[in-house]
Amino acid sequence: MALKASAGILPDVDFDNRPSLAFYLSVALIAGCVIALQIGIMRIFSVGSWAHFGSLVVSLAMFGFGLTSAVMCVGKPWFEKHWRGAVKGALLLFGPMMVASNLIAQQVPFNAIFLVSDPVQKWRLFANFVLYFLPFLCGALYLGVVFLKAQKTFNRVYFADLAGSGACGLLFLLAMYLFRPQNLVIAPLVLWFLGSLLWFVAVSDRRGLIQTTVAAVLAVGGHLALPPLLDIPKIAVSDYKGVAYARKFPDAERVYERSTPFGYMEIYDSSYLHFAPGQSDNAAFNLPEMPSRAYRGMYIDSEGPSGIIKQLPDSQTAYFRFLMMYYPYVVKKNPETFVVQFGGGLSTAMALRAGSKSVTVAEGNPMVLNAFLHDDELKRFTGDILGDERIEVIDYEGRLYAARTKRKFDVIDLALADSAGLSQPGGFAIVEKFSYTREAMRNYMQALKPGGVLAVTLWNKEEPPKSVLKLYSTMVAAARDVEGQDVADRFFVGASYLSTATVLFKRGGFTPAEVETLRKHTAAMSFDEIYSPGFKADLSLLEPTLKGYHDQFFYDGAPQDPLGSDPALERAPTDAAPAGPEGGDKEGQPQTVTVPKVPATDIGRLWWHHLIHGGIEQVANRYVFDTRILTNHQPYFAAYIKVKDLLKFTDRLELVQDEWGFLLLWATLAIAGVAALTLVLFPVVFGWRTIFSRYPGKFGTMVYFLCLGLGYIVVEVGLISHFMLALSNATVSASVLITGMLVFSGLGSFVSERFLGRARTFMPKVFVAIGALLIAYGFLLDPVLDAVGTLPYALRIIACLAIIFPPAFLMGFPMPTGMTMLGRLGKDHMFLWAWGINGSFSVLGAALVPIISTSFGLPAALLVGGIAYLVAIPAFYRVLLPLPGKPAIAA
Amino acid sequence: MRRAITAGVTALFVTLLALPATAQFKPIRVDQTPPMDSKENYVDWMKANRGESEKWLTQRWNRYVAAVRVGDIKTDKMKRAFLLTPREVFAAGNPPVKERGYEHAFLDMGYGVTMSGPHLQSRMTDVLDVKRGDRVLEIGTGSGTQSAYLAQLTDQVYTIEIIAPLAERTRGVYDKAIAAGYEELKVIKTKQADGYYGWPEAGPFDKIIVTCGIDHIPPPLLQQLKPGGVMVIPVGPPGAQRVLKVVKQVAADGNITVTREDIYGGRIVPFVPFTKLVDGEVKGTHNR
Repeated sequence: MALKASAGILPDVDFDNRPSLAFYLSVALIAGCVIALQIGIMRIFSVGSWAHFGSLVVSLAMFGFGLTSAVMCVGKPWFEKHWRGAVKGALLLFGPMMVASNLIAQQVPFNAIFLVSDPVQKWRLFANFVLYFLPFLCGALYLGVVFLKAQKTFNRVYFADLAGSGACGLLFLLAMYLFRPQNLVIAPLVLWFLGSLLWFVAVSDRRGLIQTTVAAVLAVGGHLALPPLLDIPKIAVSDYKGVAYARKFPDAERVYERSTPFGYMEIYDSSYLHFAPGQSDNAAFNLPEMPSRAYRGMYIDSEGPSGIIKQLPDSQTAYFRFLMMYYPYVVKKNPETFVVQFGGGLSTAMALRAGSKSVTVAEGNPMVLNAFLHDDELKRFTGDILGDERIEVIDYEGRLYAARTKRKFDVIDLALADSAGLSQPGGFAIVEKFSYTREAMRNYMQALKPGGVLAVTLWNKEEPPKSVLKLYSTMVAAARDVEGQDVADRFFVGASYLSTATVLFKRGGFTPAEVETLRKHTAAMSFDEIYSPGFKADLSLLEPTLKGYHDQFFYDGAPQDPLGSDPALERAPTDAAPAGPEGGDKEGQPQTVTVPKVPATDIGRLWWHHLIHGGIEQVANRYVFDTRILTNHQPYFAAYIKVKDLLKFTDRLELVQDEWGFLLLWATLAIAGVAALTLVLFPVVFGWRTIFSRYPGKFGTMVYFLCLGLGYIVVEVGLISHFMLALSNATVSASVLITGMLVFSGLGSFVSERFLGRARTFMPKVFVAIGALLIAYGFLLDPVLDAVGTLPYALRIIACLAIIFPPAFLMGFPMPTGMTMLGRLGKDHMFLWAWGINGSFSVLGAALVPIISTSFGLPAALLVGGIAYLVAIPAFYRVLLPLPGKPAIAA
Repeated sequence: MRRAITAGVTALFVTLLALPATAQFKPIRVDQTPPMDSKENYVDWMKANRGESEKWLTQRWNRYVAAVRVGDIKTDKMKRAFLLTPREVFAAGNPPVKERGYEHAFLDMGYGVTMSGPHLQSRMTDVLDVKRGDRVLEIGTGSGTQSAYLAQLTDQVYTIEIIAPLAERTRGVYDKAIAAGYEELKVIKTKQADGYYGWPEAGPFDKIIVTCGIDHIPPPLLQQLKPGGVMVIPVGPPGAQRVLKVVKQVAADGNITVTREDIYGGRIVPFVPFTKLVDGEVKGTHNR
């Protein structure tokens, strides 16, 4: 079948024999366009609404590949006959569809915080999914048909596919310097345009070239011209994102803006911005002068603000003393100080003002550092804080510096790192917090001089508390690693209810005089003393507090009122006047035995008592949330809902809104599981007895491609989280990993062609090597990545790529080898089906990784990947079974 | 910016339309209290004395019953205040949610602002224990419902909104409502400003209610609170908010102390999220 073109009948094309370079480049660019679109959509969600919903939408959109393969598998004859038209249609629609889908999706933004309370939001989320699904469907159709047409030389096409995806992933990283988030869609558009042109060159379709150009003009023109013409936004930033509030302040002025792969950073100036994290209420009556217009708000990906403090006049610096993070300077005079994370500069300014002899300050985000070091306006505002002669700047993560430096400090301060001043509902994703792990704490403690103080300040805004309990447990575990079992006199903890909490650790222990000084300061500031050496917690509060927290979520019975009205009232007739609680108390019964005054404060004190004196495991088991310590393997201030309680929360989601990111992972996993199975079973139901009836080893083949799809993605996504240890930024880590894995696997795919003749004996060795490498990486990566993290950024990327190379190269072998074998054995339907299974289980695997990581730790993902490749060995032999009556191929 | 103004003007227009220009409601005097013994008596009395529609009166009664049963409304003055507050007028500020004023859920009011649900609002108002004659300051006017609730309890209500178009929209809602007969709302004084600095000319205040996110309690507000005064601040995401109660005490020696506590005085209360009254029972996501 050939389409009429302007030049007449199009020549037939045989992609199985020496296709042109233009063909391979086209595959590479379109595959790259798909990757770029994926990352682009996630960036758009990060900036406009919430990143984890972006992941959900993209994951599900990737099922476009599974759906295409299933449909092609069933309708294979049609696609073989109409392949030119199918590809042409897919390509010509792809670009305009990207623009149209994105623009329309931005007009139906859904708002995560109303997901439970407003039924319309579910449909908006669904609309987003459908809209973003459409362009992926075009990309998938193109790749599906290309694979079908070139199945006997699949290795090379697959090489082009992977290498193109990988290289374009890196290109996209660079594009983030060029395009603001609202225009990021242009990057995949460019790739699509070039890829489409090359395709029509490869199939000698001149009319296609013209049509592509017209489609490109329409797409780019539409993206640029329609929004101003129709008065619609290119990117709809939710009203509930931090930056949306700043933009509404009447005098708000954006004084800094930078688009980088590390995020989209904006700084706003406004008299309406006020920060004083953890400020004592007593400041109102004791402070002669409050600093005015002292802050600017820093927003990264519309999240924030983090306060940037200006250079305060001497008359206003008394203010620092009223902030909770001032604690260490109450007992340390003229210290040598190390600030673990610069952030907006508050800790650093305080360290300087508190009289530090020297301040060493680390910042792992080059974007932030660059702004403060080089922007003249910002330098003027902050009094060039980083240029102070007492300051030494470390341009990588503070936790890595603490691990490597020979220097010792009097004070190490880690205060409210990575955290915005105001709680933003719905914005809590699963993020690795390596600065707060047991290993990191150990490093900080070991970088202290004898008698040095580590101060860690965290938001204490949860009720019931979650993060602070994790912090308490983590710090005590680290202290025991460093100082031995008895750490009772090493800690002092202060907190303010629904504000902040500060944990002080002192090498060698606090003296009674220091404890007295800290207690007086605590009282003077109206802070709550949570723990001090010799502190007596009221143990009688344990039972009612734990029960109260349990009942808060899982109370089984009629709702009670705060004063204890009779639940029997609930059964009163409808229209009768309700009896108020004042009538509900039973005479003669005491109202309560023990009434905890402030539950979060009480549980904090009880927690410390049991941490120091034993029995914390029993308390933690009974506590309503999971409070496991943070380690480099499980570095999460998230996943608080115990797995056994997951289903119990499905009808009370609004109570755990800050856990939606975590719950969404489970939801994604469930949806991906159902979708993957449906897609796998679709061809089975329609063709197990017809299409597949003559294929031997079909179950083994399914297992083989399932293992590869799952194994590959589990390793890739798992390593993205793991490599954050060295690269400190999720987007960069993702891009480096995606690029490295895909390009190296592409190379592996290319090389694997040479071994096709002896695949039967060679491939098992490859599988064993992959399994062994992955399992070894699982156990050995941490120290290597820690060391890499201290290198200059470009070197870090190169070192990471070198680490990825061995397994990634080998992981490029199995997929094309299996696919080519199916092609050469004439198992055409199986070929398409295998591609779909691989794709579907990739989506499932991607959703599985965060669940594995939060439940079992990051190395577990690598182990799962390693095992998947080992399981594939026996299944591989099933792939090689020839069709009945046909000869086996040499393998 | 042009878009924001267009949206604001449209919303204002729609809001004004939500109150029928022809419907004249009768003001309720301070010494008048609607019957609380049954829905029929309440609805009849309100129809006769206020002239509101049965649709909204029924919804208001049902929500009232639910709120009293779970203890969010306890005293007679609170019951009266709730039964006289026309939430539907304020929900209509954002047309997509105009029918939902009596739902338990918090509602999107545009501008990144939510209208708290009737239960949370009642609970916070109850803790303030507003007495007639108290001077009350609200930071974060938002939809205007909270101040309308307070206006049924005292004759001195001050409210500040930071977002200019929202302040203007809600002022429009008040003006139209007053013109339509809700004259109790005349006691509400509004201003568009940064609530961080309070309203020094109008202070000191007996009670302050802060309905916006903060990372610390603004010192000017603590300064404008009378000795023995109470401030309440919801903290946390909508739907799962805890309410912080701040009490300012001045000792005989002039020493000022500030205590923070949960509004239940520390008792942990089972949450009753998103309930509604169905066949006489409080149905919610808790009651499977």
